[in-house]
Amino acid sequence: MKKNLGILGILLAVCVVASIFGDNFLTGYNLQNLTQRSALFGILALGASVVIVTGGIDLSIGSVVCLAGISVPWLLVEHEWSPWAVVPAVLAGSALIGLFHGLLITRLRLQPFLVTLCGLLLYRGIARWMTGDQSQGFQGEFDSVRALALARFPVGLEAYSVPATVIPLVLLAAALAVFLRRTVWGRWLLATGRNESAARYSGIPTDRLVTGAYVACSLFAGLGGMLFIFDIGSAQPSDFGNFYELYAIAAAVLGGCSLRGGEASVVGVLLGAATLQVLRTAIILLGLSSQLEFAVIGAVLLVGVSADELVRRLRERRAERAAAP
Amino acid sequence: MKNPASRAILTVARSLGLAAILVTAVTAGVAPLADLVEAQKARIAAMKSAPKAKPHVAFVSNGVADFWTIAKAGAIAAGRELGCQVTVEFPGGGLGDQKRMLEDLVARGIDGISVSPIDPVNQSDVLSLVAEKSLLITNDSDAPKAPRLCYIGMDNYEAGLMCGKLAREGCAGGEVAIFIGRLEQDNAKRRRQGFIDGLLGRTPDAARYDEPGKPITEAGYTIVGTWTDSFDRAKAKANIEDVLIKHPKLALMTGLFEYNSSLAVEVLKQTGMQGKVMLAGFDEGADVIQGIKDGFVLGTVVQDPYGYGFESVRLLNAFCKGDMSMVPASGILSIPARVIRKDNAEGFWKELKARIKAGKEAPAK
Repeated sequence: MKKNLGILGILLAVCVVASIFGDNFLTGYNLQNLTQRSALFGILALGASVVIVTGGIDLSIGSVVCLAGISVPWLLVEHEWSPWAVVPAVLAGSALIGLFHGLLITRLRLQPFLVTLCGLLLYRGIARWMTGDQSQGFQGEFDSVRALALARFPVGLEAYSVPATVIPLVLLAAALAVFLRRTVWGRWLLATGRNESAARYSGIPTDRLVTGAYVACSLFAGLGGMLFIFDIGSAQPSDFGNFYELYAIAAAVLGGCSLRGGEASVVGVLLGAATLQVLRTAIILLGLSSQLEFAVIGAVLLVGVSADELVRRLRERRAERAAAP
Repeated sequence: MKNPASRAILTVARSLGLAAILVTAVTAGVAPLADLVEAQKARIAAMKSAPKAKPHVAFVSNGVADFWTIAKAGAIAAGRELGCQVTVEFPGGGLGDQKRMLEDLVARGIDGISVSPIDPVNQSDVLSLVAEKSLLITNDSDAPKAPRLCYIGMDNYEAGLMCGKLAREGCAGGEVAIFIGRLEQDNAKRRRQGFIDGLLGRTPDAARYDEPGKPITEAGYTIVGTWTDSFDRAKAKANIEDVLIKHPKLALMTGLFEYNSSLAVEVLKQTGMQGKVMLAGFDEGADVIQGIKDGFVLGTVVQDPYGYGFESVRLLNAFCKGDMSMVPASGILSIPARVIRKDNAEGFWKELKARIKAGKEAPAK
């Protein structure tokens, strides 16, 4: 919880700065946009955090976003599939990708970095090949399916309605939080991340857990990709989702996940994803040069994680001193 | 070697040596440029007596887009008509990818290449390589300092000017925002500058350059800024949404790359701001054309990518037969842009669809 306070502090600080010095930050429309983008990237970040908890990493998130996202208009428009078939098929395909990663990592004992790096290349390549490198879009149709991302639910506030993407985000976040904190399997997953060998010798089915984590990550990425393309309307296979894995991983780490594994906070990850999106918007509303975007994000991330580490050490030292006779 | 005199002599000798190396390096860097053009011309002249029966030429884009699919249709059609083999390559991974493709084509022994260089200033090495081993022409974005034999395309400054004038006709004044994929490319810079000059009613001057970071207030308009997205469409959409928030009084916007205009239409529709914020489009996105028909997009400036592809192959094929007569004295084969408005939108759209279909169905190699 204390860890969440740190990221909450950064988020609030960015919001305060943006609302004082930026234009129209605290308008309903802006907050609605920010909710939408945070939800989209939040779904990817939740997936990344499940893998990071196990001490692994998934570099293929952006490419899975691309393959899953591009597949939707490709199947709907080019191949005239029914939306009722497309959505489950794309999600199942994404889960299979995760299963493939998980099996390579647990059965063949390949490094997660390597497996998912190859995935990064593989899925983008497939997406580009199957579409002939052509941009894929809904061509003004399928508004009822796109409503999964574009629908807005009024909550009685002026100019602010809750974007539909919040629903899958909240459901997934709640399910993940309950899984990690309230189920034996969740506890086992955390234990696996802390020390896999110890967990395995205690009888925990670590292989199944790790495989499951990769399935969840790719499934979340596939869902995210689908919602992204519903939101944007069209995408180019060569660049759609590029670097999104880095936003997802950054959000997860900013939200308190340790890359060494065994630590996670669902609320923290959501705050981390929101912070990154608020930062990107703040740069425009503050009138800063958009070329500075990556520099500002990098600097804020670095300050955030450094402050977090310093506070942690201070606390440990105090605890040691208190424990000393 | 301890006395001061010999030390001084040594220093002078070293400096002279260094100067000689520098002079050689500088001349080596400059001289071959003109030489390379002449060498290509000499090779073309030699082919007059021994023309290639079935030349193999290549068309290389600067990225992946429907725009290039149409260009591909043109290139393939010319190949079929003239009886030469055509290879079309679309680099999806930016500068590095394009360099690799050009090197590979040269390695294959291609007879001529028409390329749209992504960063002409910094690609002189690979462009020189193409000129040295094959025949080089540029399309869409020019590289005037590279040893190219001809540039095929429109003047992006002129096209930007057309877009700016279109905006000026439809919007009498107020705040204006510019969205563009990236500004590193020569064509992007010129297009943006043309738009600004056309909108503000300035005397055309392609050498003028307004810094992207500063707002420009002139002639009743305020250009509040230029936003780039490095081809990330989610970011491009976010840029438009954010700018609409930062500048609620925005009167007009323009998207100077194809997807920028399409996304602007998307955002205007989603926010119900069609007609409240005007849009001057660029290129031929389906929703932009629909927006013109529906009346909330002022119009769009379209290039003729089919012509780029077709003329590239026609020229390279002629070179391989020893004929350079089609190259204008300026070295620029101009294929002008057109403005699409409500009255000609429907006819243009039908023609375009037929060409995209032809490009998709044609084999690339």
